[in-house]
Amino acid sequence: MSGFDAGGSQLDTSWFLLLAAVLFILGTIGVLIRRNPLVILICIELMLNAANLTLVAFSRQLQNLDGQLFALMSMTVAAAEAVVGLAILVDIFRHRDAEDIDDLSELKG
Amino acid sequence: MAVAGGIGVISFRQPIRSVLSLVVVMLALAVLFLLLSAQFIFVAQVIVYAGAVMVLFLFVIALLGPAREMGKSRLRFQASLSALFVLALFGLLWAMLQGVTYRQPDKTVDMSLFGTVQSIGVGLFTKFLYPFELTSLLLLVAAIGAIYLSRKEGDDR
Amino acid sequence: MTNSQVALLILLFPAAGAILLAGRGWRLPRIVTRIVGPGVVWASFLATLYLFANSVSGDFTYWTWIKSGSFDVPFNLLVDNLSIFMCLVITGVGGLIVTYAVGYMDKEDGPSYARFFTYMDVFVFSMLLLVLAGNFIFLIIGWALVGLSSYFLIGFWYHRRSAVLAARKAFVMNVVGDVGMILGAFALFVTYHSATYAGVFSQLQPRICGHGGPCPQATDTNSLELAAFLLLVGAVAKSAQLPLHTWLPDAMEGPTPVSALIHAATMVTAGVYLVGRMHPIYDLAVYAHGAVAIIGAVTALFAATIAIVQTDIKRVLAYSTMSQIGYMFLAVGIGAYTAGFFHLLSHAFFKALLFMAAGNVIHAMNDEQDMRKYGGLFRQLPRTSWSFLIGSLSLVGVIPFVGFFSKEQILGAAFSKPDASLALAVWAFGFITALVTGFYTGRMWWMSFAGKPSPDRPVEHPHEAPQVMLVPVVILAVLATIGGFIQTRALGFGPHLVDDFLKSAVGAQAWEGGASEVIATFVTMLLAVVLFLAAYRIYIQHAWKPWTAVVPWAQRVLERKYYFDELYDAVFVRTMDGLARVGLRYVEEPVIEGILTGTGELAEAGAHNLGLTQTGYFRNYVLVFVAGAVVVTLLILARVSS
Repeated sequence: MSGFDAGGSQLDTSWFLLLAAVLFILGTIGVLIRRNPLVILICIELMLNAANLTLVAFSRQLQNLDGQLFALMSMTVAAAEAVVGLAILVDIFRHRDAEDIDDLSELKG
Repeated sequence: MAVAGGIGVISFRQPIRSVLSLVVVMLALAVLFLLLSAQFIFVAQVIVYAGAVMVLFLFVIALLGPAREMGKSRLRFQASLSALFVLALFGLLWAMLQGVTYRQPDKTVDMSLFGTVQSIGVGLFTKFLYPFELTSLLLLVAAIGAIYLSRKEGDDR
Repeated sequence: MTNSQVALLILLFPAAGAILLAGRGWRLPRIVTRIVGPGVVWASFLATLYLFANSVSGDFTYWTWIKSGSFDVPFNLLVDNLSIFMCLVITGVGGLIVTYAVGYMDKEDGPSYARFFTYMDVFVFSMLLLVLAGNFIFLIIGWALVGLSSYFLIGFWYHRRSAVLAARKAFVMNVVGDVGMILGAFALFVTYHSATYAGVFSQLQPRICGHGGPCPQATDTNSLELAAFLLLVGAVAKSAQLPLHTWLPDAMEGPTPVSALIHAATMVTAGVYLVGRMHPIYDLAVYAHGAVAIIGAVTALFAATIAIVQTDIKRVLAYSTMSQIGYMFLAVGIGAYTAGFFHLLSHAFFKALLFMAAGNVIHAMNDEQDMRKYGGLFRQLPRTSWSFLIGSLSLVGVIPFVGFFSKEQILGAAFSKPDASLALAVWAFGFITALVTGFYTGRMWWMSFAGKPSPDRPVEHPHEAPQVMLVPVVILAVLATIGGFIQTRALGFGPHLVDDFLKSAVGAQAWEGGASEVIATFVTMLLAVVLFLAAYRIYIQHAWKPWTAVVPWAQRVLERKYYFDELYDAVFVRTMDGLARVGLRYVEEPVIEGILTGTGELAEAGAHNLGLTQTGYFRNYVLVFVAGAVVVTLLILARVSS
């Protein structure tokens, strides 16, 4: 079965993958463009979600449950990462005004 | 809807609106998971992701105040170079999807049993036991880390 | 103990002494240096005596040093009567001088004291290596080491700028000679494919016909002439003959024992040894051979004239040395080898004596060397004065001192050599030189020891030197007095031990003298004595006007040493200076400095530029990630589609 069937079945795997790709790209743009650290973290979550979508899509395609299980793991890790990331952010911005990630450039040189 | 949400995430100036857009995206994805015979994932996405993680984000935004991005960016070529690479990446991904044929599944599975809570549970405690245990450890570590990072100054407890 | 081991010991003793003193000498008590320094030289002397007494002779090979194709260089020592003769002179007279130095250098502090004797032992070792070597390569090694030791010793008081410059000058000129010598050795190797004396000389034998000259059908003398001339360059530099002589007077900056040992008795005689050792070559290379004689004769007269106007007592002796070596060159140049070596021995005796006695005077006069500030020392320093007188008379060539016998033998040989106009010409030079020698020697002695004390005298009541400095002087005085009687050929009769001894090594003098020779001998001596006394009249009694008043321009020429130094300075020194400056500006600074600092700067610039990637901005880093992802994806796609 090839992707993008002319039959236009919306359940074709290719559509899901394409959506995941788009979301991923959007998330990447966000990380690159936005300067608010919080928003950057959110975009990273977006990218993670896109990856999960890819995993689940393939899982159904190949009828192997491993993809879903992996996505579950990924979700867990993403949660943990979000927690820690936010804790760091809070710690940093307790003392400074949290606006521009470019302010955090002490590793320059 | 997911795409709209995604665009919203990156576009809003106010972070709180970005967060809410992300919630939209996550809910949309949850439905898509359901379509892909991933019932358990659907539930998990709603409860864990949209529920817990996003709430956490909202609390943090509330804590830190509604900041807006001000001023001009200090990195002059960031935008143009980003556009270049991102478009390149997208183009490549799209190219990969062209004319691709998928591998057929190794063995057919009864789709009505695929992705149920029961089957996920079976998988977690057999094949994915090791990652499962490790993930719990990971969560423990994350929790400790978060507590430590958020303690007050001079507080050594 | 085999003979070859004894021969090796001759070299090893001073080497061991040098190593010990160099490593530990300054830490051990001074008495150690005092014993080891001269001690090893005396040990070598005993070893040499052993070989002498047992008439040992042989070509001893110890091991093969280089073997590359037909270039075969063993470490071998050639022990024959000539090398034993030289070793006796070096270790015997050297032993006396080094012993003397124990007292002379006493004012030095610990490390310097040990350093001096280290250098002296190194020198003795090098000189012995030079004369004992059995092949050209080790000859060159010894030759170069001797030059190096001379550099060290001349510049011993390195805080004095004049000493440093003198040492440098000596070394540079010696190097010029070294180059000539090395090229000569190479020329011989190329022609005869051997680096050893035995190897080369054996191929020359067939060319020597009965009467000692080249056979008519001998080919290939051109390469021999070339080699002989090149070797001569080395000899001329080492022996301070014209035109490579300017370093010797300056070398008097070194301590007096150094002047005595190196610049009177041994190193400067290395050139004479060389010609003697290479006599199979020079017998065939007649032009080079003649050049030896001419150079010797001219230098002898040249140096003697300059000695007339010197005011520094050591410089008089330096020019005198140059002159006497000229005599030796003259002798070996006309084929009278044994006469030349006899004069070498005799000169070693009386010149070392003169230098050491002068050292005693200098020591007593608080390091004052200007003779004009001396005067009247005879009464106050009797023993030194007498020794100095014996040495002076020997130098002038007065019977019965050894100088008479050796110098007159040379002149006699030149006078009576048959069918040789060259010999007669050089005789004339030698004759006039003898007269001038009488004059300057007299001037030297009268000015220093006779007459009234000079008002500029630094020390009112000088006292004699300590025993350790007097005894060697006295010993040499005795040797200078009786030594002549081992070879009285100048008289036309009597013993000729030196001839007999050296015959086997350098061949006998091929002609006999006659009565006219003896008459010429005595005439020479008498005229020289007359001039010796004339100096008294001029300089002490002021009865006659000094010749310098008559021809003042000549005095200037002599004082400027015939302007040789100026000439060399203009031609060579300034050129080299200019070249060095050019090199500095166009090569050293841009290229070499450029490479060195440039490499550093390049590394710095590279690091700086690489550092620019560390912007510290998170978003830049993410950009790089994405770019990387693009690249990787491209690669995957490329691989998949191929």
